[in-house]
Amino acid sequence: MLHDMTRRRFLGSAAAAGIAGTMTGFARSAAAGSGNLTAVEWGGDVVEAMKQIAADQNAATFNWVLHQGGAGAILPKIKAVWPNVDYDYVAGWEGSFNSMVKEDWLETINPADVPNLANIPEKIIIRDGKGNIKAVPRAVGGMYFGSRTDTAPIAVKTIDDLLSPDLKGAICWPGPTQSMMLQIVALALHAGGSETNMEPGWKLMKELAKSGNIGRVAITDIDFTNSLTSGETSVGFFAEPGWAAVAKNFPVTRFTKDTNFRAFLYQSGFGVLKNRSNTKATLDFVNFAISPDMNSLYAKVAGEAPLNSKALTPDNLKHLSFTSDEFSSFVYVPDYNVVLEQQDAWSKRWEQDIAPLL
Amino acid sequence: MTKAKRQPVAISIPDRRDAALTLGPALLVFAFGFLSPLINLAIESLKEFTPGRVGSVENAAATVQNYYELANQAFASVLMTTFWIGGVAAIIGQLVAFPLAYFIVRRISPRMRALTLGFLITLVLSSVLIKTYAIELTFGSVGIFRPLLLTLGFSPNSREYINIVVTAGLVHSIIPVATLTLIGAMQSIDPRLLDAAQSLGAPGWKAHLSITLPLSFPALISSTLVSLTFAISAFVIPMVLGRGRVLFISNVIYTRFSDIANYPSGAAISLVMLAAALAVVAVITFAQAWKVSR
Repeated sequence: MLHDMTRRRFLGSAAAAGIAGTMTGFARSAAAGSGNLTAVEWGGDVVEAMKQIAADQNAATFNWVLHQGGAGAILPKIKAVWPNVDYDYVAGWEGSFNSMVKEDWLETINPADVPNLANIPEKIIIRDGKGNIKAVPRAVGGMYFGSRTDTAPIAVKTIDDLLSPDLKGAICWPGPTQSMMLQIVALALHAGGSETNMEPGWKLMKELAKSGNIGRVAITDIDFTNSLTSGETSVGFFAEPGWAAVAKNFPVTRFTKDTNFRAFLYQSGFGVLKNRSNTKATLDFVNFAISPDMNSLYAKVAGEAPLNSKALTPDNLKHLSFTSDEFSSFVYVPDYNVVLEQQDAWSKRWEQDIAPLL
Repeated sequence: MTKAKRQPVAISIPDRRDAALTLGPALLVFAFGFLSPLINLAIESLKEFTPGRVGSVENAAATVQNYYELANQAFASVLMTTFWIGGVAAIIGQLVAFPLAYFIVRRISPRMRALTLGFLITLVLSSVLIKTYAIELTFGSVGIFRPLLLTLGFSPNSREYINIVVTAGLVHSIIPVATLTLIGAMQSIDPRLLDAAQSLGAPGWKAHLSITLPLSFPALISSTLVSLTFAISAFVIPMVLGRGRVLFISNVIYTRFSDIANYPSGAAISLVMLAAALAVVAVITFAQAWKVSR
């Protein structure tokens, strides 16, 4: 009872609690050393896929942490605690991995530790300036324009159609920090520019903002799926998992193999963080996760095309599978270092030039 | 009638020691938990940002560029939107909360009063996110009132309508807090004063204007300040109900810190916001003090 508490009894209880806490800490460290991994993943079908992969092995147990917003949002959380980071691996893509490489947060991957890397296309692997492998790719996703076929007021055929008065309030546009602003790079490409010449893109973006056709600016992927599935909007630019979530219940047209649009492909994968006690267990799991069977399972559940050349691509992901000719016609691979370095300037430009027009 | 002049009161050394012992731990927590992050923020705001990096790099050069770049129309517009919508919501909140508090204190039975207080406390403690989505599902672009809005000629896609929905979201959260704040003040007003005024022939509205309102004025100012502070620092409400088209300063700060990792710029905006909020609070407080001293 509280009123029976004497100073001696209080000190005794505090000491006991301290010892118990320390023991718990030791136990946690021991557990961590024995393969209790903390992994940062996207929510929805992606983490579901990873949970199914984790359930197929016994070497590691997992604490799942989910990304809040874009993949870049994890960076400040790591920076705040670095070098005592709590994550063993972080699922990311070129955008976030390039930042992590610059900060020197990622473990260098020795191919001998991840033998299944041999089945991943060499060209797509992210390396640092010295040629060291810094992330392990697992799948290819895409970011592109699309529409909900059943509710779109008009059949969108080119980017110019986005300005049609028929689309009043019907476009869900990614927020300024979603998809590394590749949506504006897409506009720039359409108007004759690129990531290094964005003025045509900004001009078109202003027209689009002024048109009143943007009904919602999606700050998160949930904003996007909610907006499209509720019927608030019908046309948008987003990553494949977002489109896949909408496509579960509604007919969706993806403009991935259309000469009037350009799709941006990205690799999703694993960044293994430095300063962790269970790097070996993490690498073992990563190797397991990109094995042909598990990579096939990932593709089937998460909706991203597998990168392991021996894995099976599900039929519903054929729109993400490109022949060499198709790749050069429909896909655009921007210089991600340029894109990364421009994020700050582009975000301010959005606030100054676009936000007031929405 | 002459006003009593305030005289400084001498505090004895034992009293000072007791005060130091009592306040010491709280001041320590304040210094550690509030002041040190604020100083850290101020230092960060004066560092140069290298594009593509996460926060400022080690040994970053000192600069005032992060403040200088805020001197533009876009930032002023975001600041104005925040204070305009927040201010309107705070005032509407008081207009609803004031009579509500009076009604709860003077017009309902003690049993109903207890039930109403419980309801208000539940509203304060319930998740802002859930309340916000409830408003979105009711009044949003695909809410159940959409057909009615369209029939009345309101476009749920217009910027004006979105501003109104954001204000409604803020008011929804402000009313319970403001009512609970005002209930205490209402309870301390002697009801016999109102009875006396009315028995001397004052109409009800005049009795309220000359007795209830002036006596509850300090509480009304406090409640307005609390409501305004809540409204201008709101994050989820403008983000969800504003459909990404209404930007509050808190949303811009979040973008700077979390999405593009430009800590120095985020820190500068945070401090400008803090200064602006403190300036508004100071103006209202001084105005109130000036009115009381007259």
